[in-house]
Amino acid sequence: MKENEHGFFRHGDNSYLAKFTEAEREVLTNLVEQIIELLAERVDHLNDDPLAAMVGITMHDTPPDDEVLLRLLPNAYADQVDASEFRRYTESTLRQKKQANSMAMRMHLKSAVDGIVEVDHDGAHAWLGAVNDVRLALGVRLKVEENTQQDLELLAPDDPMRGVYAVYSWLGWLQGSLISALMDDSE
Amino acid sequence: MVEIKDKIEEELQVIFRSDAPWITILWDDPVNLMTYVTYVLIQLFGFQKEKAHELMMQVHTEGKAVVSTGSREEMEHDVARLHEYGLWATLQRSDQVL
Repeated sequence: MKENEHGFFRHGDNSYLAKFTEAEREVLTNLVEQIIELLAERVDHLNDDPLAAMVGITMHDTPPDDEVLLRLLPNAYADQVDASEFRRYTESTLRQKKQANSMAMRMHLKSAVDGIVEVDHDGAHAWLGAVNDVRLALGVRLKVEENTQQDLELLAPDDPMRGVYAVYSWLGWLQGSLISALMDDSE
Repeated sequence: MVEIKDKIEEELQVIFRSDAPWITILWDDPVNLMTYVTYVLIQLFGFQKEKAHELMMQVHTEGKAVVSTGSREEMEHDVARLHEYGLWATLQRSDQVL
């Protein structure tokens, strides 16, 4: 049985395995690092109040200009005043959780033995979140809102977005395999 | 007299509005996998698989679905957790136009 054709699978209690090639691990590491960097751009250099920073209150009450960041850190209210207020008190917590997911995934990739990544239930959830954030980011770049799946599948071979779409699809497949492995648990 | 009547009506409206529960709305987006949305709904709200699947399908076909109802604080908590998983959610009063 070739594990890498199956993505993640359950391995005993509270353990999930997936085997990746070196190239796959490089791609995954590179992608999560981009998310970590992007989220770091939102760090509050404006916040001089250490107490406010400590309890997670930030100076950010306007949504990010960057389309990808806005998808990762969306508004919670349609009303702009309510959305700003909510963002001020919660955005840094959300950002830290997303960074923690990506950092956990990077660490798991780094500590892979013979290309095999092993995660427990919490690790699996970190992967779900981190892989999803990468897919959200790539989805914005691929303009999946406007382009249909067929448009994306018919991209010209020399179109740089073709490679992005291949990675995006592969990540969807990988995430699906992890969900199946996790669902096995609950049944 | 008219003034008092207006005042009472206004106050009654405030009372009714503040009694109105808040709702969490999950919006459709083309990125999140159907299985992922279903899984997250099970995890966060403890829905049975069938219920979670039904809500996910409602989001998928109708563009949105109400996934939880309660106080404003509870809905803010739910929205924050859905955002953590990358799902697109907002909260509002239940009597507000969607």
